[in-house]
Amino acid sequence: MESEVNGILVAAHELKAPLGLMRQLTLSLELAPPAEQARIRRQMVDVSERALKQVNDLTKIARLEDGLFEMSPVSVRGVCDEVTRELQSLFMFNKRDLVIKYSNRERLVIANHDLLYSVIYNFCLNAVHYSGEQTESRLVIQDHQGKVRISVRDFGPALPTDVWRELKRGWINKPTSIAMRPGSSGLGLYIASKFSKYMNARVGATRHRDGTSFFIELPVSKQMSLFI
Amino acid sequence: MIFIIDDDKIMAECIARACKPIKTQVFTNAIEAAAALNDTLPDLIFLDILLDGPNGFTFLNELVSYTDTAKIPIVIVSNLDFENQNLANYGVVGILDKNKMTPQEIKDYAEQFTQ
Repeated sequence: MESEVNGILVAAHELKAPLGLMRQLTLSLELAPPAEQARIRRQMVDVSERALKQVNDLTKIARLEDGLFEMSPVSVRGVCDEVTRELQSLFMFNKRDLVIKYSNRERLVIANHDLLYSVIYNFCLNAVHYSGEQTESRLVIQDHQGKVRISVRDFGPALPTDVWRELKRGWINKPTSIAMRPGSSGLGLYIASKFSKYMNARVGATRHRDGTSFFIELPVSKQMSLFI
Repeated sequence: MIFIIDDDKIMAECIARACKPIKTQVFTNAIEAAAALNDTLPDLIFLDILLDGPNGFTFLNELVSYTDTAKIPIVIVSNLDFENQNLANYGVVGILDKNKMTPQEIKDYAEQFTQ
């Protein structure tokens, strides 16, 4: 019960930021000269889409217990392509670069498309937030000990040791109000962890001197791979 | 000149827009802002508290450590609740709640502290 209440508080806090921003943009729009209005409208769309994604993920968490998410062979490159297409403009807007490297021979994994999409999306969003301007983030897919590993590397502040240890166990219990990294409630990581557990996958992180790689490892779909 | 320190660029842009035509400089973290203070002492700083890297309080402590920067007026702009908190010793002249503030309030502070 306590962790549930804590989760609700963290979720509420995370959603407060985009709502406050939307309010501010709306007020700005009233006063802005016509030349700036298009840009403000674009920002309003971006902010509300981000908030909607968060709400969608949170509702998915509530539905996990009902087992409503079907597991099937999923093209891992296809999902990554979808995420990168969607986030391309966000990376550009924030003057960051996303480098993509696919070296996996195994193309299909057992997963739920929507949940996997959310996990990778959260990792990439995290990379946008924590990487500095003019830096790159790397989305890599590779085969790893009989599984497929998708990792997103950023060049931001290092992950605190306690969070890293928790991730080493494979998943995290709850979002924490103590910032996992500065300015973060860890909600994205919590969502990724929950979805991964449902898919029988593993999330983890590798700490670098100048940033962090978050990864998810998924079981390969052997039978379907025979047809490719 | 006004410094705006906020890791949310869109929010920083909203504050800068409200300050117009007063010149502003935006920083997304406290380290860059502290470095810029070596070149320019702003008339006012709008400061977010939850920042990437050192947070707003670390920055405030840094400011009060030096006689020249200790005099810079600070307006805290945050989602956190600072009601009934007295931060005058840190040079804080005002606190704006991100969820309640208006462009006019931002403008009022900007005009009050710039010549």
